[in-house]
Formats: sequence, C-alpha cells, structure tokens
Amino acid sequence: MTAGGGLPGVDELYEGAPCGLVITSEAGTILRANQTFCDALGRAPASLLQHRFQDLLTMGGRIYHQTHWAPLMKMQGAVAEVKLDLLHQDGRIITMLLNGVRREHPEGVFYQLALSGTHERDRYERELLAARRRAEALLAQATAAEVALQQAKAELADAYQSAQRRAAFAEQTVAIASHDLKNPLTAIKMAAQLLAQSEQRDRERRLLGSIGHSCERAEGMIADLLDFASVRLGQGITIRSRPADLKNTVEQTISELRLAFAHARIRHLSRGYGQIDIDPDRLQQMIGNLVANSVAYGDMTHPVTITTDLAGDAAVIAVHNHGTCIPEALIPSLFEPMTRATDQDATVRSVGLGLFIVRELAEAHGGEITLSSNTVSGTTFSIRLPAGRAS
Amino acid sequence: MNLPSRNNVHVAGSGNATLVFSHGFGCDQSMWQFLLPHFQGRFRLVTYDLVGAGRSDLAAYDREQYDSLCRYAEDLNEIITAFAEGPVILVGHSVSAMIGALADRQQPGRIAAHVMVGPSPCYIDADDYTGGFKEADIHALLDTLDSNYLGWSSAMAPVIMGAPGQPALSEELTNSFCRTDPDIARQFARVTFLSDNRQDIHGLPTPVLILQSTDDLIAPMAVGEYLQGVLPNSRLCLIENIGHCPHMSAPAACSEAMDAFLQPWAAGQ
Repeated sequence: MTAGGGLPGVDELYEGAPCGLVITSEAGTILRANQTFCDALGRAPASLLQHRFQDLLTMGGRIYHQTHWAPLMKMQGAVAEVKLDLLHQDGRIITMLLNGVRREHPEGVFYQLALSGTHERDRYERELLAARRRAEALLAQATAAEVALQQAKAELADAYQSAQRRAAFAEQTVAIASHDLKNPLTAIKMAAQLLAQSEQRDRERRLLGSIGHSCERAEGMIADLLDFASVRLGQGITIRSRPADLKNTVEQTISELRLAFAHARIRHLSRGYGQIDIDPDRLQQMIGNLVANSVAYGDMTHPVTITTDLAGDAAVIAVHNHGTCIPEALIPSLFEPMTRATDQDATVRSVGLGLFIVRELAEAHGGEITLSSNTVSGTTFSIRLPAGRAS
Repeated sequence: MNLPSRNNVHVAGSGNATLVFSHGFGCDQSMWQFLLPHFQGRFRLVTYDLVGAGRSDLAAYDREQYDSLCRYAEDLNEIITAFAEGPVILVGHSVSAMIGALADRQQPGRIAAHVMVGPSPCYIDADDYTGGFKEADIHALLDTLDSNYLGWSSAMAPVIMGAPGQPALSEELTNSFCRTDPDIARQFARVTFLSDNRQDIHGLPTPVLILQSTDDLIAPMAVGEYLQGVLPNSRLCLIENIGHCPHMSAPAACSEAMDAFLQPWAAGQ
C-alpha cells in the first residue's frame, strides 16, 4: 500500500538511499555516486566523477585496497563488511563499512558499492581491540613472570640439592670420624687406669688424673658429635628408658661433675621422690651438658645450682648459674647446633653442640627445655620431662 | 615437517621446466587462477601458500623465524628441491619477487629465471630512491589492517567474508580465499613493507622479466625502472593496467609477455 499511489522515481530513491551508493569501473573510476555518499564526504557530485574510488581512501586504505579487497572483488566477485577510512573534503577521516559486488552488464563490468558510516561502532571496536591488546600484554607479562619464577625455583632446588649433598657428606664425615676416635680414646683410658693401679708419685697421679679427665671430656664431645650426626642423618637419638630413681641418678651425676669441674661449686636441691621412666645415661648427658655450659659462661664466684622437682605428672630438672645473661637476640637460635651464647672466649667450649643435644634428648623423652635469663636472677635452663612413673 | 601441508603445495601441468608461483602479501595462491591455464600444457606448475597465509599450516608459523623474508626464501628453496623438475622459473608477485631473489642468493644457480610481477625492493622512500611510501603510510596500513581484524573472534577468519552478489559461491570456497590470522598478517605486513632488499637484488645475474603495471600504487613505475637499472640481465615489460595485480586484471597481457620470455624453456607447443 502506498500513500500517493506509487513510489518515487528510481533516481530519487537512489540519490536519497540511507547509505552511500557508488558505481565504478573495474579499475575504480567513479561513474556515479549518490547524494548520501557525497554528503558524507562533503563533496559535490561533479567533483567525484572520474576520480578513482581508491583515491578517496587514506594511504593505509589504498594499500589495503590494492593488496586485499581488489583481488577479492576479482576472484569472488564480492566483498562484505570491509572497514575503510575515507577522507572528507575538510581532511577529516570518515570510517565506513563497504559492501561491494562486481556485476557484468551488456554495457560492461561495473563495481557496485554500498557504504555506510560506522563511526560509533568503529570507536567501540577500537576500544575492544585496545582492551584485547592490553589483556594480551598483561598475559605476556604474567607468562614471563611465571617463567622467571619457575626458573628461580629450579635454581633454588638445584642449590638446595647441592647444599643437601654437602651437608650429608659433612655429617657422614663427622659420624665416621667420631666413631673411629672412640677406639684410640678407650685404649688411652684403659692404659691410664692400668697405670693408676700401680704405685705412683704425686706428679704421676696428677698427670694420670688429667689424662682421665681429658679422656672423659673427649668422650663427651664424641658422644655429642655422634648424637648430632645421627639426628641430622635422620636416625634420631636413641634412648633406652627404664625405671630409675630420679634423685639418686641426679646425685650420682653431680658427684661425677664435681670431680670434672673441681673449680666450680655445684649444689643440688631436690623435692619429691620416686622412680620415673628415663634413660639414666641420657639424663646424665643432659645435666652434664648444662653444667658444662654454666661453668663455661657463668660467674663461678657463685655456685651452680641443680634443682630436681618431681611433682604430679612432671619432673623438672633445672640448672642455674649467676653471671652475664644471654642476649635476647641469641635465644631463638640458642638450641641450634654450632650456636654459642657468646664469642668472648672461643677456647672454653667444644663445637657448640651441647644445648642442641640437650634439647634433642629432652624431646626424645617426650619433654622440653626452656630458658630464662636476666641480669638480676641469672640464667636457668629447665628440662621438663613427663613423669611416666614406674609402678 | 610435512612440506605439502605446511605450504599447501599443489602441482599441475607438465613440461621440461617448472614454473613456481609465489603469491604476494594479502592473498594466497588462488590469485594465480587467471594465469595458470595458459601455461598448463607446456610447464610443470607448482603453486603454494606462504606460511601464515591461505591454507598453509599456521602451526608452522614461528614469529621469530618469520620475522624477515629470509625464512620465506628458505621455504621456497625447500619447495623447489621437493617439487620442481628441470629448470625452475620463479613467478613471484610483489613481496614474493624479493623472496625469489633471496632464494636465488641462498642457492645460486637453482633458479634459472625470475618473472617478477609488480616487484619492489623497498617500499619506503630513501635519499636517492623513490619507493612510493613514507613510513607513516605503512603505519596507516597497519591501522587499517587492525580495524579490519575487529570482529574476528578466533585465530582463523577470512579477511573479507561473504559474497553477497554470488550466492552460488560455496561457503567453503568463499572462505578459502585469502584466509589469514590477524596477528600473522600484521607481522607479515611489517616484514613486507618495512623491508629493504636493494642490496640483495643489486647485480643479481639471473635473467629477470619485470612485469610493471603502468599505474600501480604499490610498485610505481619508478621502482620498475630502478630494478631494471640494477638487474644486469633484466627486461622491463610494461603492462597497461591499473592496480597492483596485473596477473588478475590483465592476465592476457601478462601471459603474452611471459611467453616471449619463457621461450627457451617451454615444451613444444
């Protein structure tokens, strides 16, 4: 149904079509362009005729025309949705979407082109493209970071492995060396004991006593080294618990320590009686290490005090000394191997395994070791062991 | 590596010599369709797609390797070794004319002659050289390429889709023309239009037929004349044609000029 009984003329419809319509020769020469197209480019129709369509494009568009859509028009006879930048009379760039067909008529071959503005859509699509580029750049960054991370991890793993190998080698060396040292040391001790049985002069007795003490100290160090090595080699420290009287065991230990540390005064205070499940040799080793520590670092004008407290479920054995307190910064690492509370006198100690061994032994018994140290009340190491009471 | 699928190689025709057709930037081997029938009876014909173009194996496209024309030239020599018989005449359009020259330099003597269709050794103007473009023009091209990639959702998409005027054209055929991956096309555009092969081409002794369109934006007359000047054994043949693809828009004139040039290698009529 039409209002006036018919449509407007074809020319009128062509000129006013809601898109640019252009007819060119195969080579691109413009033969006719409608008003809509002329208006879009701000050009008079007459000024377009005999120009080539591609001359209306930006340089990029012209190359694209030559390399892409001109061959396609030739091969497939049509193109669709090509986006092109055209130059407005005033120099502005007008982005348009092109559909084109190649038509053969009796009058010749013509390219019929339809163009519509796509300004807003083009902007939107460019934003999309920019966003995609950003996303790709970020992805590339993330990928690069991931690669770097993996590489760093691999290097770290390598370094860790070679450190592990070095450490294992060192620990095995320590274990083998300390084990092999025990035999000659035992021979020296036995020889000294045999000599002690015969008649001696004072000087010989002093020298024999000195040999005996030195052997014991060396044995202690070897025991520590062996324990350390076996902890580090993953074997742990073995303890052989059996019911033993706590007070008596400590008393016996202390009397031996008094001989070993003749210049120190060592006191023993005890509360509570009874037997608990414990490895007495290991208890002796713990107390020995702590007392050796006190003698080495404490103020020996005051006594070293050992307190044994057996009450309820727990036995607490504490070793206290007066003197300079342990710096707070050192406390967290104090129980680690090769750590010393001070560097002031490198000659007084062994390799720094004593406290490490004590902690390992306490933990092997299911207990723990704690420390309090300050200038006023001095330094106290407390071993707390579960009192698995022997029935 | 599978050459036939990597480069989508096709072999046709028969003769004592082989014509190897290498397409230019923006399209694929289908652009030779107007020229091939003319030579079918007298030559062995090898056509292929450059890696990254047409139906080549996109997985073979390595951004670093294909960052210069050298790798394309190596590919061409591999194709010649595998598929050519007898003397080889390389027919290269646009950038492929330079790929052919590089392949010739890589293996001197293997290519007997070149037919260069719209060649240019350097697109950008230099001090005493007119290539026809400023560097900004090439960036404008990259921009146009970009804006035509929009809406291409995945890696593979036809450059220009659809054929509204030709419903008979099957979907497969339509999309087979000039397929390309946007990122590859962008890099190839850079490699093509920012390359300078003037030193490679200078003094190349192999016989060369230059098919120069009389009106070509991409390879203007001055460039054809320059090439004739630096190629000692070359013949410049003007083809009355507007545009960069005389083998498509003026195939008869092209094949006529080629017939004369190829006379020494053609099998009996």
